[in-house]
Formats: sequence, structure tokens, C-alpha cells
Amino acid sequence: MTTERRRPIRNFGLALASFGVLWALPWRPATPLAGERRIRVVASMPNFGSIASFIGGDRIELTTIGVGTQDAHFVDPKPSYMVKLRNADLLLVNGLDLEIGWIPPITQGARNAKILLGAPGYIDCSTGIQVLEVPASLSRAAGDIHPYGNPHYLTDPLNGEIVAQTIADALKSVDPASAALYEEGRKAFVRRLHEALFGKELVDLAGGAKLAREAAAGTLDAFLDGTSIGGAPLRSRLGGWLGRMQTVKGKPLITYHKDYSYFAERFGIRVVDYVEPKPGIPPSAKHLEELIQRLSQGEAHLIITRPYVEHRSTDYLAEKTGVKVITLPIDVGGTPEATDFFRLFDYVVDQVVAALGGGPARPGGPASGGR
Amino acid sequence: MIMRPSVLPTAAFVALLMLSSSAAQEPEPSTTPPAPPAPASPAAAPAAAAAPPTHEEVDTLRREIDVLRRRIAELEARLSLLSSAASSPAGATPAAPTAAAPTPPEVPLRPAATAPPARSQSLLNPAISAILQLNGTTSLVHSSDANGFDLSEAEIALQSVVDPYAKFDMFLTFPSSGSPAVEEGTVTTLALPASLQLKGGRFKSAFGKWNTLHDHAFFTIERPDALVNFFGEESLTNDGLSLSVLIPNPWDQFINSITEVGTALPGTSFNADHSDLTWLEHLAWFFNTTPNSTLEAGLTATRGKAGISQALIAAIQRAGVFTGLPRDRFDSSVYGLDLTFKWKPLRLNVYRSFLWQTEVLHSRRDLEVLVQPALTLTPATVSSYGGYSYLEWQFAKRWRAGARYDLSELPDEEAAREWATAAVVRYQPTEFQEVRFEIKRSVRNAAAALRFNGEPDDTQLFFEWIPVIGAHGAHPY
Repeated sequence: MTTERRRPIRNFGLALASFGVLWALPWRPATPLAGERRIRVVASMPNFGSIASFIGGDRIELTTIGVGTQDAHFVDPKPSYMVKLRNADLLLVNGLDLEIGWIPPITQGARNAKILLGAPGYIDCSTGIQVLEVPASLSRAAGDIHPYGNPHYLTDPLNGEIVAQTIADALKSVDPASAALYEEGRKAFVRRLHEALFGKELVDLAGGAKLAREAAAGTLDAFLDGTSIGGAPLRSRLGGWLGRMQTVKGKPLITYHKDYSYFAERFGIRVVDYVEPKPGIPPSAKHLEELIQRLSQGEAHLIITRPYVEHRSTDYLAEKTGVKVITLPIDVGGTPEATDFFRLFDYVVDQVVAALGGGPARPGGPASGGR
Repeated sequence: MIMRPSVLPTAAFVALLMLSSSAAQEPEPSTTPPAPPAPASPAAAPAAAAAPPTHEEVDTLRREIDVLRRRIAELEARLSLLSSAASSPAGATPAAPTAAAPTPPEVPLRPAATAPPARSQSLLNPAISAILQLNGTTSLVHSSDANGFDLSEAEIALQSVVDPYAKFDMFLTFPSSGSPAVEEGTVTTLALPASLQLKGGRFKSAFGKWNTLHDHAFFTIERPDALVNFFGEESLTNDGLSLSVLIPNPWDQFINSITEVGTALPGTSFNADHSDLTWLEHLAWFFNTTPNSTLEAGLTATRGKAGISQALIAAIQRAGVFTGLPRDRFDSSVYGLDLTFKWKPLRLNVYRSFLWQTEVLHSRRDLEVLVQPALTLTPATVSSYGGYSYLEWQFAKRWRAGARYDLSELPDEEAAREWATAAVVRYQPTEFQEVRFEIKRSVRNAAAALRFNGEPDDTQLFFEWIPVIGAHGAHPY
């Protein structure tokens, strides 16, 4: 510590001015008008980015914030994400408050009015989704619940069709000159989705849109069993992911988090319990003992966990009961095989069927086909 | 569309016609017959009209007719099912064309009657949260009035967007001693051009990292000594304006400049007359060193007016008799350097993390000193340093352990210096509750000890329990 003569601080204003000059430098050329450049799309998580890329193709410049091995509930709101959002035309989010801990701070810090909540570029992909498990009452005594219902709707691949429509509408709105291209992309995506879900043969016979509507209405089984072709019910033509999952339909399993409700509903499997006693609450020793009892009595044949949760509890359950544990991705990129939305479900269906003893891996490659 | 059996043949015929003409209009669903035989090429049709058909052509046509007959049968079966389903309420589906209907089934799967679920923005009430801080403190060396439990603070936060152009954040604090106050209350623009963001109101100044934190978000229970010595028991807080600029750069990295002007709330370095303005400039650079780790570096400079120093007041009291008139407005500047490294693995970021945060502060403060034995006041400038370094390791989802080293001089007193080491254990049952324990060992030289009843050292234990209810906005990264 020193004692000196008074010396006024000089050039404080100069320092301020230098920051201003730095900011004003033409680091980047002026933003061209839409139509002359690609549409900048930022997806909160890779599933939405994958669907957007099927629709927009080369017309969009895609950036994804989260990665497939991350828990979408707990992505950190890094300031660097604000930079990714600064020039975005569209922001695709899961919605239903899944990203409540990180999308608001990075959008509000991005200085981009186009992608703020309520602005035309803020695309909530849950629009139009039939949301499951909307809580009748809200209390955190029930754990880290989602007030608007279960946000993991993309575990049902058929909801990808609704999301594709939402994204296509958004792209058409921001880039009307390429509307036909986006519509073609959407149709191609939906066609491929139907074939991957129901099998190409059944789609050729009955039409993908018809099958999708029956599935969405919960009447697909009645339709397949009540319609005969050449004396055989249509169910005999069911292929794709649904066809593969027929062999394990109704089998009980346990998941780590309550994130497979939509998957279970679509494919007819039964989720009988969760490793988490309540959403977001790690399992206690008592809860694990209860699960061991249930598993030992054969109440569930499989435990499904996620790449981003601890494995100690599930390893313990497997060790005590011999029940198989598999780690399944929930997002594109959650495993190296899940390179896009279709490969994600190829992988998931394969793993579930194999783990539940539903037969060998399908012949002839992925149900979703090639691209 | 409901079709009665009497119209089935007509409908089937229409559908049959569409098989050959609707592919372009209706690519989804495909109408390709199952296992089709090799169809005649389009060029074969005029050729067939010009010459008698060969046996092969006849066989081909027969196979095609067989396929089409089967297709008609399928369509009839499906129409029959649809008719029965349409007449049954249980089997009714949304009024939409079916695959076999003559209109294209290009209708989105999205239920037409399903409105989007309610969203936060549709709720007019702001997000409201309440946070409680129950503190317990004791000294292992000295008996002190500070021993005991204390409801140190209760905070109520109200946060919402104002309109498409601004958001509003209000944090009301209810300290155990003193009146309720606005800890922070700001309106922040959301739609300014050129990457600008303007904030107005009362806010914690962007001096480094720790100063911007609310008490419940501290890493340790108490704030580092350097911040206390340089700014006071509360954060450096301004009533004024703050302009933030996200500086464009060729590397697309987060480089942010914050310029503040306002009136600082009374504190150590800036406690002069209310009409004096305090200026601050903060430049932050944040980048990802790896996908799992980040580094943030910041530089800060702030300048304002300080009042009479505590050191002079103490010296006058010790002198007993003094008839001079001390000045009460002096230039005061504080500069800061902050560095934060975080490691949070993307895949397991809620289970494991590491944090290293360091800040160095430098104060240059004009003041008057009392010269003995003449008891005259002489102007001087005290240049002093301070800082802390904090390490934290999260070893389980709910558990973190941290350690901090403090070194601080006093900005208004020559040769006064103190050191401290602290260790903290933090337990978070959920993200809405935290319990933490801290032990802190402080050592001071003689000049600094004068500020602490002459006590050259101390060892303190702290306890804190912080619950939060309601919708509390996410803290900055």
C-alpha cells in the first residue's frame, strides 16, 4: 500500500469511447434480406434441429444449442448461446416449460426481438400436441413437475408430424418465397415418418395420413383388426417401428424419469414405475428397496435409463434383481447411432425389442429406410 | 365424410380412377398396389392400340386387372369400416377426409380443435417468488454480539415482461434489522437495435462477478473481505442507467460491454453526496474452452466520489481534540479483474462440476490524513489491493465443497491488511433449497485489527438455510 499525491484518473472517457469504436467496427457485413440468404434457425435441442433440417434442407442455416447427451431440463444458460441467438430468424423450442431454466435468460440477453417469447420467430413446437399428464393441482411436493403437462412429447414419433407442420409453417412465414420447398420437405418428412412408423407396405395400402389419424385417435388397433385384405386383417401388413414393437406390446418396464409416457402410449408398453420417486428427486434407499421387491416379483422386465442421469441406482437395481438396464437416448445425438430423428427411433426400437426379448434385430436395415 | 353402402360402387369407381391420376396431387399416401407386377410402360399403350395384343401383353393386363380387383375389394372393406365407424360415436374420428376418399387427405395431423396449451405469457401476473435466509453465526475465538441466529434477509421477487419491448425485475428485501427496501428494481429493454440493451432503475453494479450476486446466490455464506472493504456490507449498487452492448466480433464470441452511470448507494468507496455520479465500465469476454468448460474474463473500472474516510474519523476520535473541518468529497476509483473457469460436463452437468473464480481489485482513493502531532489534515491518495480466489467441487448431485482465500487491504487506510481462508459445504436437496456450513479463519495486521476491536484474528462458524418458493428466474451462468 502506498500513499501518493492526488493523481486524477485520466482518459476514462477515452476508454469508454474505445469500447464504442470496437463495437461499431464492421465485423460482419450488413445482414442481407431474407430470400438472399439462408434462414437462420436455432433449435433448443437436436430433435427439433433434425426435423427442421429435413424440411428446410439447404435453405436453412441450422444451429443447435443443446446436444443429444444433455438433459434438456438443465442446459446451462451460457452467454455464448446469446451470440448464437443474436442473428436468428427462428428459435425452435420444446415448450411446456421444459427449457424454463435456460431459454428465457439467453433469449432476453440475445438482443434479438425476433425470437423473444411471443414474437413471430419464437416457435413453440408443442403447439397442437395432445399433452399428457397435465397436473390437476400444482405443488412442488410432487417433485419438479411441469405445470403444463409432460413435455417429452417427441418420444412419440408421430408427434414429429405435428412438429414438422409447426416448423414448416414458421419457415413459410419467415421465408414465403421458399414456401413450396418447405412444403415439399414437410411432405417428404411425413411420408418417410409414416413408412418408418407403420411400414411401407401398410402405408401403400391404407395411406399414411389415414393411419396417422387412426393412431392419433387411438383407434389404430381397431382399424387394423377390423379391416381385412384378401382374408387377412390389415394388422398382418403392419411393419415399421410399430410392427417391430408388436412383439413386446404390453410388457412392463421401469424408466428412470417420467419421460416415456408418450412412447408408452404409442407403442403399447407399460411403464409401471420410475427410478425417481418423484420427478427430479433422486431415489432414496427406501425407494430402491421397493423397486427391488417389485422387480424381483417380475413386475417389470426392463429398466430404461438416460445418458445424462447417474447410473449407480440403476446398476444397483440390476445387480440385485438381474433385470436388464439399457441406456436410451431421448434426443438425436444421444448415442452415435442416433444421427437423425429416424435413426433415433430405429435405435430405440431396436434396443427395446432386443432387451424385452422381442426377437432378433429386424432384417433389411433400419425401419426408417435410407435417405 | 360418411358414405352409405348404396354409394359404395360409385365411390370405389371414383377411387379407382384416382389411382392412376392422383399421384402428383397426393404423394402421401401412396396408392401403389401391393406387390405390383411389372406394369406396362406408358409408351406401350398407343402401341397396343395400333397392333393386336401379344400373349405377354394380355397376361400383363390380366395381372393388372387382378391387382385392381383386389384393390377395389380392399377399398370396399375400408369404406365399410369407415361407414360403421362414422355411425358409432366411440369410433368417430375428427371430420377429415380418409385415405380412400376422393379428396386429398393432406390434412395436418394436428387436431383442429386443439388450442395451444396456456403459456406463461398469457398469465398477466408476474412470476413471484420468495426466498428466506436463516443465518447462524458464532465466533470460536471471541464472544461477540454477532453470535446467534438471525433471519438475515427475506426476499420477494416479482419478474415479468412489461410489453414486447421491456422486462421488469423487482427484488424486495426484508432485512431482520432495518426497513424493507428495494434491493434491485430494473426495467430492461428487449428490442433495441444494434445489440444494445438498456437497463434503468436500481441494480447491483456489474463490477466483476460476485458483486452482481444476490446474497442467496453466494457461493459462501458471507462475501469476500475485499468486496466488504472496498464497497461495504452490501454490493456496490447504483440508481441509474446501464447500457450493455454485445460487441460483434469475427470469432462470434460473447464480448459484452456494460457502461453504467448513476448514484451509488452509500458504501465505502462511493459514499459521498447523493448528487455525485458514479461511472462504471465493464468489459467481459466469455468463451468455451472445450464443450465441457468455459472461461470468462472481465475488466472493470468505476469512478465516483467518496466521503470522509473511516480511517480519518477513527484518527480524529483517537486524537480527542480536533478543530479542523475535513473535506467530504474525494475522487475514488476502483478497478477490477475477474477470471472464472467452469467445468460442467454436458452429459452429467447436474452431478459434477468444478468452479474457479478469482477477482483482483485495486482502489485509488483520495482522502485526507491527520498528521500528528500538529493535528493538521494533509491530502493523500491511498492505493490498495484486494481480492479472493474461490474453488468449488461438486461431487454429487446435492453436494458441493468449496474453499476461498481472501487478501484485502483497506482502501482508506495505509498499511492495513487482512487475510482469510474459508471452507464451505453446500447441500441442495433440490434446486429450491440449500443448507450450507462454513468455517472462516481471519488474520489481520495491527492497523486492520483496529477496525475489529483490536482483534488480530478470528475463527467463525456460519450456518445458512435458504428455501425458495414460487417461480424464481434463472440465475446468470
